[in-house]
Amino acid sequence: MDAIETAGLTKHYGHRPPPIHPPFVHPTGLVRALDDLSISVHEGEIFGFLGPNGAGKSTMIRLLLGFLHPTGGKASVFGLDIVRDSVAIRRQVGYLPGGIALYDSMTGVRLLDYLAELTGLPPVRRNELCDRLELSTRTLRRPVRDYSRGMRQKIGIVQALQHDPPLAILDEPTEGLDPLMQRAFYGILDDLKAAGRTIFFSSHVLSEVERVCDRVAIIRSGRLVALEDVAKLLDRRKRNVEMRLSGPGTPALEGVPGVSGLKVADGRATLQLEGDVGPFLRAIAGAPISDLTIEPAHLEEAFLEYYADHDPGDVEMVG
Amino acid sequence: MNLPLLKRTWRSNAFRLVVICLALAGWGSLGPIIYSQFGATFRELVESGVFPEAMTSFGGGDVFSLPGSIALGFVHPIAIILLSVFAVGFSTNAFAGERQRGTLEILLARPISRRGAYLTILVSVFGFIALALAAYLVGSVTSASLFDVIDEIDPSLLPLVWVNGLLLFGSFAAIALAASVSFDRLAPALGITLALLLVGYFFEILGSLWPDAAFLQPYSLFHYLQTRDILVGEADAFGFLLLGAVIVVSVVYALIVFPRRDIAAPS
Repeated sequence: MDAIETAGLTKHYGHRPPPIHPPFVHPTGLVRALDDLSISVHEGEIFGFLGPNGAGKSTMIRLLLGFLHPTGGKASVFGLDIVRDSVAIRRQVGYLPGGIALYDSMTGVRLLDYLAELTGLPPVRRNELCDRLELSTRTLRRPVRDYSRGMRQKIGIVQALQHDPPLAILDEPTEGLDPLMQRAFYGILDDLKAAGRTIFFSSHVLSEVERVCDRVAIIRSGRLVALEDVAKLLDRRKRNVEMRLSGPGTPALEGVPGVSGLKVADGRATLQLEGDVGPFLRAIAGAPISDLTIEPAHLEEAFLEYYADHDPGDVEMVG
Repeated sequence: MNLPLLKRTWRSNAFRLVVICLALAGWGSLGPIIYSQFGATFRELVESGVFPEAMTSFGGGDVFSLPGSIALGFVHPIAIILLSVFAVGFSTNAFAGERQRGTLEILLARPISRRGAYLTILVSVFGFIALALAAYLVGSVTSASLFDVIDEIDPSLLPLVWVNGLLLFGSFAAIALAASVSFDRLAPALGITLALLLVGYFFEILGSLWPDAAFLQPYSLFHYLQTRDILVGEADAFGFLLLGAVIVVSVVYALIVFPRRDIAAPS
């Protein structure tokens, strides 16, 4: 059974404007926040959900948690329908909202206790999470209003994961964390994955998605444009290759599989390399090369390619 | 109903509740004191013709009898403001305010149904109002006893006064909660509820002071607060039924609308 499964999940806001309206009325039109989205998130994987602001990431999460009602299609979490079984779904989910808001008058520890009570499950992972995120007992005794943005984010992470949920839905989880804490957080994710937990990870920080996720879905204007293993996606990317030549002549690279865009100037050769590096390495064997640099492919390039001909912040308007 | 939410709601409002109960007990004690010390003097002044008769009744209360003085304190702006802290302020803030601040998202991400959350808050606010009203009546009865005028009312009718007050302020709380679950921002929920309360109060007071405007009174919920009538044994069951109906309609509306509406991301 998949942890999350959506089939044609659609969410529209607003109303289709009437064909005729008074001149002083400006119809808001229909906003397609999510359109015909079909994905499945397997149990035990870290699934990245990528898209720029306004692409529909938060809408998808809010649909899964029952905050929003779908306009069309259906979705389930661990086989439970998101409309009918919303409460049961939330019993199995730990949720970190983007830009989390907390009850400022409570202390950190009282807030975590309260949220654990509301969840109805013991906070079995709290101590471990607090240790790893360097949230001391003394810190937790202070009111939340005194916390910095990073501290609030750490509390947000702990409240989402303290009851060891089978599925964690994390919206921009490293927002506000310093690099050391980001690394600690990635370690926590690795451990959760090893323990068989499923993570649904929404982000626009491509490097961290590339670092932690097994698979990634990219959405644009509420529509799915890619759903693939991160490794496969990167395999298909073109890597930039630069060679410093130590003598006359150029390696014979025409016709070598995966090689394109060869340029030679001032004793340097540059090209793009796609797929298996074997044929390329065999082709340059014995050539007069003093230095060779192959830049790894990044998710960012794949992401930007999907958005190359589109305004990323745009939400499709109808009517 | 959700026990952790109920406990947290009471705990976070405990100090406010104590302060308001003490203030209302103090305020409630003033009416019988003023009546016992100055009631006869006021009566003589009115009978001398210095004040027109119409000015002697303020929203169903007066200072010429113990029931009238208890009723006057109940409908006085000070009591209305103190009781509105829970009936209007707390209730409108409960969902629309939390939505606006973003904390509603944390709450509803837990395995709590929206109806469960709503009913928990509804029970809490009725509890707050019930205690605040009880404090007012305790203050009134205590001072009436101390100033030896308690025998002018039948104490067995006091629970009916309490129920009547609970129905009035409960109806404002139910309207406020219905508005709170309907809006994503505090301002419209608060605005609608306050407008209903202030317009209703204006209708009732204007009608009580100016006979030509008396036709406006039935359109005000305050008209169905019958403290003096209850204490003199002339209560009208219609007022109780009407206030009860307002509560039922508001609660049913909220129970239908809240689970069905979208809760957008905090702005």
